[in-house]
Amino acid sequence: MLDNIAGPDDSAFTSPAALNDINNWVPHDIVMRDAWFPLAHSAAVGKKPVRRSVYSVPYFLWREDGKAVAASVLPGAGALPETGLTDAAGRYPVMEHYGYVWCWYGNPLAADPLHLPSIPYLPPNGGLPGYLTGTVRFDCAAPVSLENLIDLTHADFLHANVVGDEKSESETVEVFSDSETVTMVRTCIGKSVAPVMKFFSGIRQPTQQVRQVIRIYLRSHAAIAYGRFTPGDDVPLFHPCVPETRDRTRLDYTMNTSNAGLLFRHVMPKASYIVSRQDSSMTSPQSPRYMHESKRRDLHSKFDVAGQRYRLLMKNLVARQAAGDFSYRDNVSADCSDLIGLRKELFRY
Amino acid sequence: MQNQKQTTHSNSASWWAVARSEEVTSKKPLSSDIGNQELVIWRDAAGIARAMEDRCPHRRAPLSRGCVRENGLIQCGYHGWSFDGETGRLREIPNMKSEQRFPPLYKAQSFAVAESGGFVRVCLTPGAEAPAVDAASLPLYGTAHVGLAQEHYLSTFFDDPGMLFGIKGVEFTPYLASDLKAEAGRLVMERNCQWRGLHWPSSFSSEFPISLLSKTDPLTGETELTLRDDALRTLLTAVIAPVPAARGSTAIRWRARLAKTLNGLRAKQLLIGAPFRVFDTIDAAALRRLTPSASVQWQDLRAAIIQTSQASAA
Ligand code: FES
Ligand SMILES: [Fe+2]
Repeated sequence: MLDNIAGPDDSAFTSPAALNDINNWVPHDIVMRDAWFPLAHSAAVGKKPVRRSVYSVPYFLWREDGKAVAASVLPGAGALPETGLTDAAGRYPVMEHYGYVWCWYGNPLAADPLHLPSIPYLPPNGGLPGYLTGTVRFDCAAPVSLENLIDLTHADFLHANVVGDEKSESETVEVFSDSETVTMVRTCIGKSVAPVMKFFSGIRQPTQQVRQVIRIYLRSHAAIAYGRFTPGDDVPLFHPCVPETRDRTRLDYTMNTSNAGLLFRHVMPKASYIVSRQDSSMTSPQSPRYMHESKRRDLHSKFDVAGQRYRLLMKNLVARQAAGDFSYRDNVSADCSDLIGLRKELFRY
Repeated sequence: MQNQKQTTHSNSASWWAVARSEEVTSKKPLSSDIGNQELVIWRDAAGIARAMEDRCPHRRAPLSRGCVRENGLIQCGYHGWSFDGETGRLREIPNMKSEQRFPPLYKAQSFAVAESGGFVRVCLTPGAEAPAVDAASLPLYGTAHVGLAQEHYLSTFFDDPGMLFGIKGVEFTPYLASDLKAEAGRLVMERNCQWRGLHWPSSFSSEFPISLLSKTDPLTGETELTLRDDALRTLLTAVIAPVPAARGSTAIRWRARLAKTLNGLRAKQLLIGAPFRVFDTIDAAALRRLTPSASVQWQDLRAAIIQTSQASAA
């Protein structure tokens, strides 16, 4: 049962115009500039170039003397396309951090490490073992996938066999946002224990306390999904949704369960394969139904506040960019450990 | 709306056979369609067949991926909203507990359903008059899908039914016994047939031992077939319902029954194996060479009937 939904500035999100906006949107049309995208796990980039896309624009990634680089064409290719996204040599700005190769999409002169999202439970220099990482592709628009992630209630329903059903004694949801991020914190007391924890962490109690945080970095289409289970383990997932094309999304995830018990540590990252197929069974048929403006508006319940906020913030950013404003008004790289309630003692980097 | 262009599907009060009765259960929702209109069909707690648009009004997920609850509501598989099939109205959101009352706006699109003769039929036009009730349902049945638009499926039926379905041991000749004509609101014609085997080609045969009588609904194309011998005794009865489906394909749901007594050796051979089947592939090369004949008349008759029905509706 949802006892409380709170947000600091709700009135800005409940005006008639805002409500109209969240009832209807075309996530496929969203193209936002000036953002870092985690295009590959560091381990996936070597001497031989790998190909990625951001909004259909090609990115070729490889290493030169161990340093990751990204270009619009393969090394040695002749003519360079004039995209305005690279330097004169056809190179994109690149940063290697948190075990990812991040590439800049936008004006190369605006690329700044200051705009790299904070992910406090990943080691800044990477190096996590491969079994904590993986790749999943979604047949839907990236914002549809992120909306799915921040959406409260579908997990209890669609993923009940993995994360447990909706039964809990009390539930509180808080939503915070600034111009570049939206954060949802859900606290459940006395929630049915997630089956995956029953089996692989050996939780004997019938219920547990759950604190789940979803934090989306809007421009980078990347999300933190951090769950704290008491009794139980921490599930810190980094969930980027790269909009490779309008209706297809690439997720190179990292689930840093390195502090959990041996079994859970190995099993939980693999749960992504089950969970993502369940999500995909809904987001894949759902996504094309958002490709055009529709007169028919989506219906909402009070459980949708976070998702609604996400839609609205995305639309606000798009509008600002359309008006020529690409600046960051809020700092996405500031350490968000406290905001997400990270058990810092587990993640000292 | 996606299906605006398909005037014959949506503008008329047609009842489309979107499922066979046995396919519709309260165990699992069934996905079906009429042209581009996607449908979900199930049986509620009272065993009544229900149909709604296969689109949840919450986040547009297909309801056919959900489930049917014990109380007969259909539940979306994404966030678990439950809808009442009769009205389409939202009845429950999981976890809402106390406040399970929603404004009337909170509904999915529901459609009228009529079930008889072993078919579940849906009408997309609100307030349409219920269709006539069929006699008992025929015991043999099947469903086939073809990559041919329903309109062309029907025109092929009028010109050469042998490209679309088969009756055991029967050859359809191109020689009609009676022209297509409107009779009691249906389009009726009769085609001469022969038993397969050694005989003069139909062009040189003096007599035809069997014939196929067909009665077609001008709007939906649903057709009742009767195979008779030369004493006009019925050998086989069938109903085929070709319904326009997604991407210009056609779903053909059919039912059939053999007569209780079959006279003659050839007729008795119908008892061995499947007497009737609808093909799910069509020879496209033969199709484009097929000479139009009765179908030309069908187009004219149908246009006249649709025009009259639209005029009376307006
Ligand atoms: S999409 Fe059907 S309940 Fe949410
Ligand atoms: Fe999910």
